[in-house]
Amino acid sequence: MKSVWIAAAAMTRFGRRSENLEDLMADAALEALAEADCQPDALVVTCMAPEELVGEGNFASHIGTYLGLSHVPALRVETATSSGAAALYTGFALIASGLHNRVLVVGGEKMTHVSTPRVSEIISRVIDPHERSYGATMPALAAIVTRAALAKGLFTEADMARISVKNHANGARNPYAHFQQPVTLEEVMASRMIADPLRLQHCCPISDGAAALMLTADPTGLKVAGVGQGSDFLAVRYRSSLTSFRATQDAAKAAFNMAGFGAERVQVAEIHDAFAPFEILALEDTGLFPPGKATRAIQNGELAIEGRLPVNPSGGLNSRGHALAATGLAQIVELAWQLTGRAVGRQVKATVGLAHSIGGMATNNWVTLVEQVA
Amino acid sequence: MMETVAASRCPDCGWVVAPPARICPRHPVEMTPVELSGYGSVLSYTTLTVAPEGFKPPLHIAVVELPGGARIFCHGRETRHLRIGRRVAVEQVDGIFYFASLGIADRVSLFWKRRGAAPDRTRDALKSAVKGFFSAYKNGAATPNQEEKNPIEKQK
Repeated sequence: MKSVWIAAAAMTRFGRRSENLEDLMADAALEALAEADCQPDALVVTCMAPEELVGEGNFASHIGTYLGLSHVPALRVETATSSGAAALYTGFALIASGLHNRVLVVGGEKMTHVSTPRVSEIISRVIDPHERSYGATMPALAAIVTRAALAKGLFTEADMARISVKNHANGARNPYAHFQQPVTLEEVMASRMIADPLRLQHCCPISDGAAALMLTADPTGLKVAGVGQGSDFLAVRYRSSLTSFRATQDAAKAAFNMAGFGAERVQVAEIHDAFAPFEILALEDTGLFPPGKATRAIQNGELAIEGRLPVNPSGGLNSRGHALAATGLAQIVELAWQLTGRAVGRQVKATVGLAHSIGGMATNNWVTLVEQVA
Repeated sequence: MMETVAASRCPDCGWVVAPPARICPRHPVEMTPVELSGYGSVLSYTTLTVAPEGFKPPLHIAVVELPGGARIFCHGRETRHLRIGRRVAVEQVDGIFYFASLGIADRVSLFWKRRGAAPDRTRDALKSAVKGFFSAYKNGAATPNQEEKNPIEKQK
């Protein structure tokens, strides 16, 4: 298997954007092409729901043509809310297999022009039909998981709020973040209830945005050291555990196995905190912390940018925002910038980074490891 | 009379799921239909104050584990007094599961929360009210207290 390297990483600011989806994706893609200073021989496009949200189909060809790359083989990849990570994996596989040498991976989503109940309904289609027929949305399922975890004493509501506070503090230092304002513990714990016990400030926003990466077979120093995928039943009610995600555990094992090193080498992590308590569950499911040890780290400030293991220096989905298919790629962009000293205002000291992405209600999860090789 | 819930069992691994599935989610084997008793314990629950299109908040949802291990999603009148592990009755009205023992007023109110054409809602509410009346008259509707007195054995 060939090694796969990151030659360029770019993204737009996440948030409520006036540009259309094509232009957001073009902004990220053109910046990546300029940085890489080479042309791709394959294009991987990702968008979770362009048919419903912007009314476009045949999306790989649509974006290929818009980018002036219609002569390059293009395909679209989709695994619900982890589509960006799946697209990175696809680009990785195309190069690792020797099929292609330079792959441009670009993902984007445009949602804020659609009403919130409508966006909520479109996103809810990633949920099992029986569960969805009871009005189960992503926040509803996340609340059901969170309630079970609280009852087991895995963390407290204050721990959940501490995650939101930390990630908003980080987002306030990231010019690419959707929210760039810190929040206090009291504000989080008094924010509007969405799905008991999840409050507004525990939940990620609906964001527009795009991100792009150029992957190459030529060494650049920034290596995709491992990629792992894990899956689980679509139906949450089929799971043996409500309070841990098998898909994350399997993805982490596969990624570390491919990389040939363990969680102890990870120095910075981008975690899928679509709902604040999910960051706590992921820290243990990925093996970054042993079971039951993540909450102590949160309380001690170990996960802050200046802490022992900075988690979500970008602000995470909670504050940087969640532009569905762009999110998994934006996590890798953040790691690339962190590992090459370009994360202005929020720079950490690290040579190995981990990105964790959840598709649907943890039905199709990914862990990606990026390493700066001296 | 205890309500029953349609489910399916895997002939190979014995796993039971509800509603019935054609193929066992654990491996590609056709399942056989079974009926489960309509009571169980609450695994988790939530109340949505922001409901998706087609529903009105507050929307109460619980995941209930039935005898045999199958879990279903249910609606309910409220979750204020609910706790994880609490035993509840499950009733099915026109394909929708409801947890706990519900009075007639509760049923009518619940059906109005599900959006639909007005004649449908009225019909559903009437059917539910009639059903509730009959089951209460014939059997003494299971109250939460009676449920607590009849703990079920969980088959794992």
